[in-house]
Amino acid sequence: MALQKFSKSVDGTIPIQPLLYNDEELSASQDGVGIYDGLQKSPLHQSGTVHVTSQRLFYIDVLKKASRSFYLELSHVSQTDYYAGLFTSSPKVTLHLSSDNFVPEESTQTGFESWECEVCAYRNPPGLSPSAARICGLCGVPRSLPGKTSSSSVEIPQSNATSSLPSSASTSVLPKHPREPSLITCPACTFLNHPSMRACEICATPLPKAAGDPHIAKSIPATRPATPGFDDNDPDSKTIKLSFRRGGDKAFYAALKRSLKGRAWEVAPSNVANDGVRSGISGIMQAVETSAQNRDINMSNALEDLEALMAKAKDMVQLAAELNERLTASSTTTANNPYSSSLSLLSSTSTEPEEATFIRSSLSQLGLQMENTPVTLDMMKDEREWMEQLARELANVLQGSAKANLPSSAGGGMMKERGIIALDEVWGGWNRARGVALIPPSTFLQVVPLLPAFTNPTITSRSLNSGLAVLHTPPYSRAAFAARVCGLLALAGPKSTTEIAQEEGMTISLTAEMLNIVEEDGDVCRDDGRCVIQENSKDVLVLGEVNWWANLFLGYTWDGQQ
Amino acid sequence: MALSTYTTTTGFLLPSIHSAPPFFTQQPHPASLSIATEQWIQIILKYARHRRLFTVRVEDSEVSGNDWDEILRNERINRKLIPSYLSYILAQMVSQKLAVYEPPKQDRSILIYWRLPEEWAEVLYEWVRLLEALWFNSIIHSQVSSTGNLNTIMTFYEITDPPVESPLSGLPIPLLRQAITLLSKSNRAQIIAISEGEGVRFFPTTGKA
Repeated sequence: MALQKFSKSVDGTIPIQPLLYNDEELSASQDGVGIYDGLQKSPLHQSGTVHVTSQRLFYIDVLKKASRSFYLELSHVSQTDYYAGLFTSSPKVTLHLSSDNFVPEESTQTGFESWECEVCAYRNPPGLSPSAARICGLCGVPRSLPGKTSSSSVEIPQSNATSSLPSSASTSVLPKHPREPSLITCPACTFLNHPSMRACEICATPLPKAAGDPHIAKSIPATRPATPGFDDNDPDSKTIKLSFRRGGDKAFYAALKRSLKGRAWEVAPSNVANDGVRSGISGIMQAVETSAQNRDINMSNALEDLEALMAKAKDMVQLAAELNERLTASSTTTANNPYSSSLSLLSSTSTEPEEATFIRSSLSQLGLQMENTPVTLDMMKDEREWMEQLARELANVLQGSAKANLPSSAGGGMMKERGIIALDEVWGGWNRARGVALIPPSTFLQVVPLLPAFTNPTITSRSLNSGLAVLHTPPYSRAAFAARVCGLLALAGPKSTTEIAQEEGMTISLTAEMLNIVEEDGDVCRDDGRCVIQENSKDVLVLGEVNWWANLFLGYTWDGQQ
Repeated sequence: MALSTYTTTTGFLLPSIHSAPPFFTQQPHPASLSIATEQWIQIILKYARHRRLFTVRVEDSEVSGNDWDEILRNERINRKLIPSYLSYILAQMVSQKLAVYEPPKQDRSILIYWRLPEEWAEVLYEWVRLLEALWFNSIIHSQVSSTGNLNTIMTFYEITDPPVESPLSGLPIPLLRQAITLLSKSNRAQIIAISEGEGVRFFPTTGKA
């Protein structure tokens, strides 16, 4: 009887996992279990598997999975007993059920659909456990009641039809006295009709609608023989026993106790569960904050790998250095004593360059091809020396190493061909050359002022009007460049920016910047393409371009009409 | 590179710098700009006197076919003043009191003072006295000196559009009014209302009388 009252049938052909709510967890499973309803064996449930989850106890029958399986809300369990078994008697677990905290049916049934919170319009996902589905996941406001009652009134005919649903379930929530159905008096013959009747049973006169709320209408099944006869005071009628015929009882009982202790059905589902106040704006803020925290944690977990890789970089640098040293050492020894070599040594020298090339190419593919391995902070004793080493390294990158004996560093530095180069390009090129242990821009900017001491010809940095910073050799200093441009203009006549850029081997935008500075000094003057009357092919000027002239205004005297 | 002066069809001798393309660009360098602007002001004033032009408009450089074609555009080097630079030059002229915005309260066109209002006042007064003398001499023979006591009354129209070409022909009314105002300050003229509109009464010079 207790079994019928508290259990709900479930389709056991479905595997256990899909049956669970989203926030429900499977704790333990045991097969070969029989069920006692009260003191009696429940004849239909004698061989099956039980699963205990954080919220429910499932029984999946072995023989007729579809019809005989059921589940039981752990929230109904008030007490448990354990019986270890004796001789032929199997170990048993007794569940004392109580209906004190019985949850109304309807909310359980609505738990499996998504719904929108009336307060914050958050669409709550389906599949949460009944306790979780009762309140909005975002703002914590309980789900509005009208929806519930309307859905329950719709369900009336269903609860009559589906026999598997315990018809008495909803009656237990009701107070005692309204359980007596309020009979409807027939206006014609005064027969007391059952409240569910629409017309009089005797005279077929249409009856007035039953007064009272839909719950009374819902309690119709309670008048049927089974439920009213159910005695609340009989302790046996409120127990269910699990008989473990194939053992596993202890582990299962422990899991059951854990689940009962956890009281997952009382705990709100979402991440804000433990924070007490969940409603209102503060609740929403908390929800958002917590989700941000979770994201942070996930992110830092994800980035741990990267940090580990960075930590390995030092080892790679060391390895590259050792390999390089060994290769250089071996090649020098073979080069130094070519005559003293035996036959075996000869053969080894002939093979060695190949190996060396192979290893070096592999290293270069890894970005470790630098002749001197990248300087890292932990190699240096103090900050100052670290900066100087970096400056030396950067000088090498820019001007090529003094030795330049390795094929990998062929072609000299970045500034071998060019006298001026933008700072961002230098930074990128340097870090590409380092490959590992990259230099942050801040450190780079600290190193740049040290460059003149380590470079020949001196490389200095300079900021142009637009804020573009460049590194340049002496011929590209302000005065030198102006002088060169003036000479060019005096010699070859007016030139456009593009022509000067070609002449100097610089980018056009950089040339324009430089020329603007020369113009600031008053050494040149401009002929703007916008002043052209008509664009024609003969004119050197294209619309929008600027032609540069030597400054012909300074020192001009009037030679026109007096 | 060799720039040379050029004589226009109206007989105006353009300075050599007018043949340099950079001259038509507003130079960002302040010293170059002030020199170039100074040269432009000179050209405009001298050409205005040469052609007896009194106004320049900003759009004169944009469209061809007006009085300023020879100056604000140079077809030989395919250059013209862009309106923003011309507008800057006009503003400079106004600030140097070589012109005023006419009509006032806008900055698209100016009235050029290729003679200052004070100079115009003197020119006007000399012209009136000359006129009086001629008129007097032709009627009464030489009895009365050219500093005669007669008060001459003339309309604005008679001054700006005389039957015989005069230095004042085509003088814009605002400029004429300024000149008369200056004369009236030294009690040599007075604006009066007459039947055809406005007129001016000239008095003999107090110093000479």
